[in-house]
Amino acid sequence: MADWNPRAVAALSWLYPIAVGGFGLYFASRAATDPFTLLVAATALVLGSLVGVATSNADNRFTTGLAGAAAIPFVFSGNQGVDLAGTLAAYGVGLAAVWALRYSRGEGHAELLPVMIRRFAGYVTYTVVYSAMRVGPFQTLTGDWVDLPPFIAALVAWLAVEVMVRAMLVLGPRELSRSYLARAMLQDLNVFVGLALTGALFGELWAPLGWWALPIALLPYSFAHSAFRRFQQTKVTYKQTIRALARIPEVSGLGVDGHADRTTALAAAIAKEMGVGPAIVEQVEFAALMHDIGRVSLNEPQVLRMGYTDDDIARWSAEIIAESPFMERVADDVRHQYEAYRKPGEQEDPAISIVSRIIKVAAAYDWKLHQGGSTPLQALEALHAGAAYEYDPEVVASLRRILGARHLLSPSRA
Amino acid sequence: MNDAGSPHTSGNMSRGPMRLLRLNPLGRRYRRLEPAVQRRLKIAVPYFLTGTGVLVLSYLVFDPPVWSVWILFAVLYIVLESFSVEVNDRLFYSSGIMVVMTAGVIFAIQPGSDAVFGMALTCGLGAYVPTDFRQRHWFQPMANFGQMVLSGAAAGLLLDANLGQITVIDRGILLRVAVTSSLAALAYATVNNLLVRKAVKTVYGDDNLQPWSQMHILFTGQVTMGLVGGLIGAAYLIAGEPPAVLVLMVGVYGIGHMSLYAFAQLRQSHLSAIRGFVKTLEAKDMYTRGHTERVAEFAQMIGEELRFTGTQMETIKWAALIHDLGKLAVPTELIRKRGRLDDAEYAEMKAHAHLVEEILAEVDFLQPMVDIASGHHSHYDGRGYGGRGHTDGSTPSLEACIVAVADAFDAMTSARSYRMALSQQYALAELRKHSGAQFHPDVVDAFERGLAKSGRRWGAPHVNDEEMARRLAEEPELTLRG
Repeated sequence: MADWNPRAVAALSWLYPIAVGGFGLYFASRAATDPFTLLVAATALVLGSLVGVATSNADNRFTTGLAGAAAIPFVFSGNQGVDLAGTLAAYGVGLAAVWALRYSRGEGHAELLPVMIRRFAGYVTYTVVYSAMRVGPFQTLTGDWVDLPPFIAALVAWLAVEVMVRAMLVLGPRELSRSYLARAMLQDLNVFVGLALTGALFGELWAPLGWWALPIALLPYSFAHSAFRRFQQTKVTYKQTIRALARIPEVSGLGVDGHADRTTALAAAIAKEMGVGPAIVEQVEFAALMHDIGRVSLNEPQVLRMGYTDDDIARWSAEIIAESPFMERVADDVRHQYEAYRKPGEQEDPAISIVSRIIKVAAAYDWKLHQGGSTPLQALEALHAGAAYEYDPEVVASLRRILGARHLLSPSRA
Repeated sequence: MNDAGSPHTSGNMSRGPMRLLRLNPLGRRYRRLEPAVQRRLKIAVPYFLTGTGVLVLSYLVFDPPVWSVWILFAVLYIVLESFSVEVNDRLFYSSGIMVVMTAGVIFAIQPGSDAVFGMALTCGLGAYVPTDFRQRHWFQPMANFGQMVLSGAAAGLLLDANLGQITVIDRGILLRVAVTSSLAALAYATVNNLLVRKAVKTVYGDDNLQPWSQMHILFTGQVTMGLVGGLIGAAYLIAGEPPAVLVLMVGVYGIGHMSLYAFAQLRQSHLSAIRGFVKTLEAKDMYTRGHTERVAEFAQMIGEELRFTGTQMETIKWAALIHDLGKLAVPTELIRKRGRLDDAEYAEMKAHAHLVEEILAEVDFLQPMVDIASGHHSHYDGRGYGGRGHTDGSTPSLEACIVAVADAFDAMTSARSYRMALSQQYALAELRKHSGAQFHPDVVDAFERGLAKSGRRWGAPHVNDEEMARRLAEEPELTLRG
């Protein structure tokens, strides 16, 4: 997909609340549910969208609105199946309001529009599949086992659409590849399913309990929620710590200030752009953070006496990392970070992982920019020139796309 | 309970060893067992027998549960128990109580069924977790079976007593259920805690499970989980016992628990990774390998003597691990320099106390530890050089004093480039000499007690003065003669 014109994206984005809101109002006129209840349901969606949920991957931004969406078709169920028009009306009006809310909080169109389209497509799929299934033995909501198959089918369809739309619809600067986004979603599958189950639970309890269903459905969820939060906090803390420790050479004056941080950000962007899975992206981040940690050895008297090469630093870094459980898996990546991606006469060197190749390019780019005084274009040209053996051409191409999307390659900047 | 349930020990005393030997081959075998195994049996056998007794009794006296519902909950409970989660140091956290309470409330309220037997059986079965079998533990499951049956039965009795007479099931019962299930969870946690504490004390000889001062954390967690579980059970009944609701609830529980489990695993691996990282970083460039590890060990020894809680111990351990991180940024020749440092060099050395703050500034969870670590060169009387918040004359925190003593002791008892290791005797005498000025007197006392208890000796045995240590380092052949 070529880069989208930001104006076109903005125009489409402004069209969204009009189209989706109109869709909602159209179905509201045909709904069996009374307008007041529809309004309550739409408001619940909006309020739910204000409460964010902790996820382990920052590219997944779920809110409790998902639970609300899952609950609505249950609540709008009678003995005659689901009030499909009513459900669609609540979704349409609710999502238009959510768009307005998020836009007013300053979210950019390029981020906002894909999320909102995904929500709409997912909700509609869910409720259409659900109401289509609620026939025959499944027609009446009884609280018995037969309530479950329509919900499970609808949930699976929703998930499939969510992942598909995520993969297809990337607007704005193309820095996140489709494949990465689709796989990132699966990292937080437990959060997504937990939210949907909570919505269904509320829906099941609504008929017998009324508004008591709200606290009671939220009780099991609050437990799951705190678990999600803790999980996320742990990851954040870990990254903070590793990042702090990785800065030791810089604090000691043995490294270049900010080199590790900048290399990490760039390497992660390249990895995401190239479409590797979230696990590899994480590996790239850690390896990049620690790629120069071996520089702590540079104040050893005998090292200063004997001299050292880049390869020595890579080896020392790898040695330090290899000693630490849980991090040893990136030791090899760090070990090979300065090696050429292939030797003459070879297709590629299998010992040099994609992680090493990405770090090699990102670190070299940052070095040329901040130590060599190159402009982004000059630095990129140097990498291109080395793409025969030194730098993996695919990684360099990905870097070019990223720099292009960030408008860093125009000659006026040089 | 111990006497009643333990045929071997009581028989031994009343009838004399000879007769027991002849009549009871098990008795002879028992006496041949190692003391550690004997202590374990002393707990496992009576616990197991009492548990079985209570289970049989409750089956005879009370109504059985609704078996179809029971099976669902029992399976879920056993799964949750086998994935129990250690959230805080030594604090095991299990959502099992929530599941048991949901089941118990359902059994207690439903006419024709009681909670006691169903709950006791579920809990008892939950004691058989796969890890125990994999690691060939036989005593733990036996003892756990007993104490879990008793805990479950205690909670079940409370539920039956308070909820058994309910006939009209509507929203009006929610408050009553809330209060009762909280109390029942409290009973469960109390019985469980007392029995486990007794077992640990008998088997390991100490009461080091979880300090009573920290107990409220455990109890608050258990009571909250019990309350939630009870309310869910009531909701299920009020909603007309819909199985779909049960499945959905179980689903959310399961997802939550699995996330918590994943969190605990991640936390553990992260902590060990960070710890390993710190250790290797230091070893890379420190004068001695193992310095931080030893300082951490000494600090924990002192912490134990001063009756620190689990969290405090964790803090002091981490503080000790990072206490010299700033030194990584100090040029190596300075650290290894023989002879005295000049003023400029001393200032540079002093800076390392601040560097640890700079390095770890963004790591929130280490901030309390950073404060301690950066204060480890402050003196008890307010001199020395310290980190942030240190002004001349202010007393450093107790934790900082602990790290200071541990650090000083290890510095003296390990070899330096310019001198040999000094003896433990000498190091302790030095600590005592400066106790009250450089070092916190209570900490020095606690350290001496801890060292005496541990029975280990540090440093070179006969090197009792600094001058001699320096000479020995300069002329290695002296070592042979000395």
